[in-house]
Amino acid sequence: MKNNLGNTFLRVIFLFLSFSMLQAEDFTHTFNVDKQDPYVKEAVILTLDLNQTNRDVVMLFNFNINKSEDYTFQRLDIQETDSYHNAKVHYVYIIYPLRSGDINITFNLLKKITTDESIAYSFSGDRDNVKTLVTTDTQINLPPLSLQVNPLPEETALVGDFSLTHSIKKHQAKAYEPLPLQVSIKGRGYPPLLDSLLPKDGNFTRFTEKPIVKSITTPKGTQSTVTYPMALSHSQSFTLSPIVLKAFDPQREKSYTLEVPSQHFDIQEVAAHSLVDRVDSPDILKEDWSWLSTLLGYIVVFAAGYLTALSWKWKKKQSQKASHPLIQKIQSCKDEKALLQVLIAADSRHFTSSIEKLEASLYGNGKINLNKVKQEAEEQI
Amino acid sequence: MNEQINTLKNELGKAVIGQEAMIEGLLIGLLCDGHILVEGVPGLAKTTTINALSRAIGLDSKRIQFTPDLLPSDIIGAQIYNPKDHSFSIKKGPLFTNLLLADEINRAPAKVQSALLEVMQERQVTIAEETFKLDSPFLVMATQNPIEQEGVYALPEAQLDRFMMKIVVQHNSEEEELDIMRKAASKSFGEVQAVLSIEDLHALQAEICKIHVDKELERYMVQIISATRDPARFGLEDIAENIMFGASPRASIDLYKAAKAKAFLRGNDFVSPADIGYVIHNVLRHRIVLSYEARAKGIHTDEIISSIIETLPIP
Repeated sequence: MKNNLGNTFLRVIFLFLSFSMLQAEDFTHTFNVDKQDPYVKEAVILTLDLNQTNRDVVMLFNFNINKSEDYTFQRLDIQETDSYHNAKVHYVYIIYPLRSGDINITFNLLKKITTDESIAYSFSGDRDNVKTLVTTDTQINLPPLSLQVNPLPEETALVGDFSLTHSIKKHQAKAYEPLPLQVSIKGRGYPPLLDSLLPKDGNFTRFTEKPIVKSITTPKGTQSTVTYPMALSHSQSFTLSPIVLKAFDPQREKSYTLEVPSQHFDIQEVAAHSLVDRVDSPDILKEDWSWLSTLLGYIVVFAAGYLTALSWKWKKKQSQKASHPLIQKIQSCKDEKALLQVLIAADSRHFTSSIEKLEASLYGNGKINLNKVKQEAEEQI
Repeated sequence: MNEQINTLKNELGKAVIGQEAMIEGLLIGLLCDGHILVEGVPGLAKTTTINALSRAIGLDSKRIQFTPDLLPSDIIGAQIYNPKDHSFSIKKGPLFTNLLLADEINRAPAKVQSALLEVMQERQVTIAEETFKLDSPFLVMATQNPIEQEGVYALPEAQLDRFMMKIVVQHNSEEEELDIMRKAASKSFGEVQAVLSIEDLHALQAEICKIHVDKELERYMVQIISATRDPARFGLEDIAENIMFGASPRASIDLYKAAKAKAFLRGNDFVSPADIGYVIHNVLRHRIVLSYEARAKGIHTDEIISSIIETLPIP
């Protein structure tokens, strides 16, 4: 900023907006603004001095600027005296009008009257027994502060005295590899916060982050550094159009341009399959059938256990049956006659069928399979 | 002929469910003029079977419940004095029938048992000085209750020998008992009709006489009986000590007849070793007297018989 606020202050017409003797018997108030016809987003410094005139009471003040869409503001300073009967308060605000034309800045002032006893009493409390300060409050109607705000030149993006720097780490990359780009705007004026910095033309991919803002506001204005970290990527070479920001310096009442020149990036094409991250890439989304294998596992385990139990039972039954003396006798029979002898020696009625077959074989013309008859007889046991 | 047997069995099946062993034993006894000793718990349709058999053949049947105070005259009859004309008349006892059910024969004292068993053998009754021939057929089916041993008079072995077969009656199967229960509850047992006459029965008995028995089988049967008397001679040293007395010659006769009857019931005109096997236990079961050692070991005569059959080679 080439002209500081101090010099300007001297040149600015002193404006005494209002000096009223409202509540003359109690206090006086004095408004001061450094300019009445600022440009849009040009800083306006407002000071207010409140001086108690009635020394018989204890007087407290509560002052605020009402919020509005026409302007934005920030309190920069407040100074108060410690004397209860001689209150003096000095407020300093910075206001940025947001639109052109006549705007009214409205205020809210509350005067609080109390006594020494009430203050002493309120101080007698402690953390667990807070005692309210009893006050008599009076709402003071202050007239609004009118500003005649001048419009900005067309397409002005920044208001203030700014400089622009940019950094591009590389202009060559592989396909889809990000190309970092950083733009910083630094200077004094309305904070240079922009929704979009990159030009809209170009079919490359844009990566943007929330800008990094560092700012400090003083009665001289707001000193800001806003950094826009970005990145670009494309599958083929491309050219970034120049970034042009039109700015206006209200101190000098002059427009100027901040610019990032056109940039060309060379992109080396690579095979798409080589770009797949085989280490950290997530698995391809697919239907999860692992439950089926788990279920099958359980079924197999259950079936194995069940069949094992069955086989054990069957084996036990078989061994018991095999150990039956009659079965051993039947198995040891070598011919039909021996088998017939064993069967009729046992309970013949149970082996009627087998005996008849053996009879037919021995004394008739029938032919039999001895093992089959043995098996049939064993099943009857 | 076999059709007549099947018809008879079917008719008996109207009143008796299951109990094929008892029915077959009765038929063999009836066809061979033998007597049957039945061992089984009460309620196994012994009386029902006798009654059904008598009705099916048109025979007379009676039942005697043997008790400890029973007298011989109670079963054979007595000479009764008639004061009106000062004369004695004969009052015949229940023995004068074709089929007699001697229920719980071991409850009667020895003299009553002897009177009955004598009649069974001689088939005649002497009352006072008069002798009466019993009608043919005459079959006694005596029962023994294996459960109760108190107050019973065990039949002497010599008298048991007069029974052709001893049949052990088992309980019915569950399915048979279910059928019995339903029919008894609904009183739906069939009415047994006479399907055979006494003449038919005699004709059947004549048929049995014609059943051929091979000489080897005859010898086989004799060897079996001999083996009960002298097991060691047949290589049965291990059972020798278990037998006190073997079967009598009456056993050989009954085995011979029973085997022929069994072959006839099976529809054969010759006896096979299997026919002998079917009846051998029933014929010998009550005729082998076990030694004290065998009784102490809990050996049953059926096991002795099975050992003999297994050892002696069949023809």
